[in-house]
Amino acid sequence: MKRFSWIITAALAAYACQLAVHHATPVDRALPLLAVAVTVCAALSYPAVMVGVPLLVVASVGLFDEQVRLLAYGAVVALAISAALFGVRRPQSPLFLGAFGDTGSKSGDCGHRTPYVLAVAIVLLRWIPLSEVLVLRELFLLGICVGIVVVLGRTPFAVMFGVITALITPAIPLRTLAVPLLVLGVAVAARAFGMRRLVLRWPSAVVVAFAMLFFAWSGVVARAFPYLLTKPKELPRHVIAMSVAPAQSLTLDVPEHATSLILSGANVAHFRRGKLLGRIEPGGIDVRIGDVIDWGALRREQAYGAHNPLPRDPAGKIRGYGYNAWLDGAGRIALPKGARTIQVTTDALLPANASLQVEGFE
Amino acid sequence: MIVAAVIALLLAPLAVLRRRTLVAYTAVDAATWLFAFILWLRIPGFDPWLGAIGIAVVKLATLSLFIANGTEVRWSANRAALLAALVYALALPVIGRHPLDGDEPFYLWVTESMVHDFDLDLRNQYAAHGSGPQFNDPTGPNGEQYSRQEPFLSLLLVPGFALFGVQGALATIALFGVLLVRSTVRWMEDEGIADAHVRAVFPFFAFAPPVLYYAVRIWPEVPAAFFFVEAVRGVRNQRLKRWLPALFGLVMLKLRFALVAVALVGTMFRRRPRALAIGAAVLVVPLGLLYLITGSATNVHVWGELLPAPGERYVTGFFGILTDGMSGIPFQAPFYLFGLFALTRWRSTPKGFRTGIIAGSLYFLYLLPRPEWFGGWAPPLRYLVFLMPVLALGAASVWDRLSRGAIAIAALWTIGLTIHGLSFPNRLFHIANGENAIGEWLSFYHRADFSRLFPSFIRMNGASWIGVFAVLALIVIGVRRWKHDFAIPIFALALAAGFAHAKKPGTRVEFEDAHVVKEGGELYPEMYTMMRVTYRGGWILQAGQAISFQAQRGTHTLHAITGLGATFELGGHAYHIDPHPEYQRVRVIIPEDGRVTLRCVSGAINVDRMERE
Repeated sequence: MKRFSWIITAALAAYACQLAVHHATPVDRALPLLAVAVTVCAALSYPAVMVGVPLLVVASVGLFDEQVRLLAYGAVVALAISAALFGVRRPQSPLFLGAFGDTGSKSGDCGHRTPYVLAVAIVLLRWIPLSEVLVLRELFLLGICVGIVVVLGRTPFAVMFGVITALITPAIPLRTLAVPLLVLGVAVAARAFGMRRLVLRWPSAVVVAFAMLFFAWSGVVARAFPYLLTKPKELPRHVIAMSVAPAQSLTLDVPEHATSLILSGANVAHFRRGKLLGRIEPGGIDVRIGDVIDWGALRREQAYGAHNPLPRDPAGKIRGYGYNAWLDGAGRIALPKGARTIQVTTDALLPANASLQVEGFE
Repeated sequence: MIVAAVIALLLAPLAVLRRRTLVAYTAVDAATWLFAFILWLRIPGFDPWLGAIGIAVVKLATLSLFIANGTEVRWSANRAALLAALVYALALPVIGRHPLDGDEPFYLWVTESMVHDFDLDLRNQYAAHGSGPQFNDPTGPNGEQYSRQEPFLSLLLVPGFALFGVQGALATIALFGVLLVRSTVRWMEDEGIADAHVRAVFPFFAFAPPVLYYAVRIWPEVPAAFFFVEAVRGVRNQRLKRWLPALFGLVMLKLRFALVAVALVGTMFRRRPRALAIGAAVLVVPLGLLYLITGSATNVHVWGELLPAPGERYVTGFFGILTDGMSGIPFQAPFYLFGLFALTRWRSTPKGFRTGIIAGSLYFLYLLPRPEWFGGWAPPLRYLVFLMPVLALGAASVWDRLSRGAIAIAALWTIGLTIHGLSFPNRLFHIANGENAIGEWLSFYHRADFSRLFPSFIRMNGASWIGVFAVLALIVIGVRRWKHDFAIPIFALALAAGFAHAKKPGTRVEFEDAHVVKEGGELYPEMYTMMRVTYRGGWILQAGQAISFQAQRGTHTLHAITGLGATFELGGHAYHIDPHPEYQRVRVIIPEDGRVTLRCVSGAINVDRMERE
């Protein structure tokens, strides 16, 4: 009966959020899914967590700035999942009970619920946009991550481990699914060799909550997460949008008040940090991988094969939503003081299909 | 300010939490700071003031949660008062961003006059501050200009004002707020309320509207609440030395509280007939003092106000206080719905609660038919603030019987109200036009009539009676604890359904409302017109000016008035109205659902509203 009432609750919550959808982003359209996720967390832990559902409705209706709204959704699900991690007490691993020296707990045991928390987190982090989900791969990944949680003793730490594993697995190309398998193997080995079951409730909750806070751009969390710890510069941009082939130059008038040049690379994703891409004159400023990177290097499809680090002063925009979100590889390079005209020259040793892209001035 | 807030928020838990509870709270606190920092990084354009207050209130709510549910809590009335002192000290400068408003300056000028001139004549204060008397203020035989406000509050403010000026006066009120919190907690303990329930109710009472707003502004409401609690405690404990001076102070603060004194003394009459004589003295002395000051024992009031008013005004006032979107309890202080729920469990409530309610009933009855039942130009629920400790006691007494979901919703709503009120203290003063702050805000941004979803008894709308039934259902069954608690999802569904409904055009358009896009014209009557609530509001359009709004397809009746005559265009049709001294009804046709424009082509017209036939 109790389970039935939770099903009714989830249906009501999902319908409420469906009525509240009126923005066009995939995250907004997934609002009913968020409502169900919050309901699951409430059912797993504290019923009061359900207040997340009216908060989702209020955020959808009352927050007009997209970034603020999506962050508000993130805050709600982060709180719900953190609460679920605290609500599921006394974790143990029935599957491996005894094998790894576990004694388990005698009363109030609901550690068996942690895999549900993990499933909720992974669905929110990876299944948005719903239309672009690779179902079989995602189900396989989910199964492996649940396995990791079970092996590690169904603790909040295990959930954190599962979430991180899911985040760092692009699942494109298919062979990247070896990553969670490898993690699972390491976990089994560690437990077999006597690793104690780690709970680490607080740090685990904080890490998972951080990931969930940005679930609307979970792809960026996975592939460029330091960017989310920086303050974005919102400077007016004078758009140039021109490409410079190897050994060629481009001369540009510097707009008044401009202090930096925004550049990115094309077809340079395979280069490592420090590789020379070009030069800016006057001042003889070298442009290297690390100052700017390949424009699409952080895309889900390309991230696995790319070797580019995050630009030192990222000037890219977050594009897309959910696990398909990515940060373009533009970087900000300070202009020589007082320069009225600059010349951008692409390094002659770059491959013929590579180029340096001048995005604009800021 | 922010540094002080951070220090206070770090110190506050040390005063009440211990060991594991303190450690757990500290961890949550650290995580909150971390996430606040991340949000600060990622949302650079966000209003920093709103953000800072939001974080502070969320932290206070978190602390309250630990105080309520913690296993190791050091709790006493004095600790509650200490917490209240910390919070009010922080709230004073925050609320102080909005200048003194409503009756506040007049109380302060009387204090200033007492301190500097040793009299109550405000002529030089008005001259110095570029102001003038309030409507119907009493005058002396030699042209002295007195305030209509009773001078006792001003007298209480004298020491603080003499030492620290306005800040000292505000601090005096905050001190009364602290005393009120302490007395209320003690009262709950006296009445045998479980410690855990007192701790759960405490933040809803002390750190939430309306007490929080009135504890840091110059109004007599919080001192009155303190005197009232002390009087009821004195009566309950049969301590003459407590209730007599408290009741005297209460009546001295505002003559209207004489009705409370009469009812409270009446509750003692059966047991102690002698109390009637003492109570009479409590009434006579303030009346005599007022006579000496103003020449009239009733000041600006007349005895005729005690005569019964027409019945429908009682209905409007009662249901307005119960459900009005701008001034009603569910919208402005939802926690006190639990106090109203306690009324349905009358026999099982503590004796103190029943005494308090009976004591307030005569006053309440006389408040209902008054045109300013909604509180006038003041923060919400002004005339009921003194009753809030009683309702809080009632809520605490039925705490175990309350839906946990309903409590969570009330907490959420209260947090939102507190953040809003502290961030935008000017919005605590809302013109009585039938809309409320949230309705106006949503209407403005969505360009749709959200205000019609909020019941209004200031300007009756379609939601008024539906709201009455909804609130009554809420009080009787909605906040009750059930085996399966669907309160939160049903609330979410109601919110979302309301939103979906509000996006569509309504059957009635009030042209002064926020959802109407105005291209010129002016509000009628002016915003700060005295007793504006008694007028038919509208929007005046001159030739060439226009308004646009969402309307339903079909035939509507437009209510308008014009002294010059006017021709206007609406929905592709032109209409002419002849001049007339009274409001006229014009049948207009809207060809299809959606946004239409009403443009004044010639003359001038004051458009009031449009209703679908």
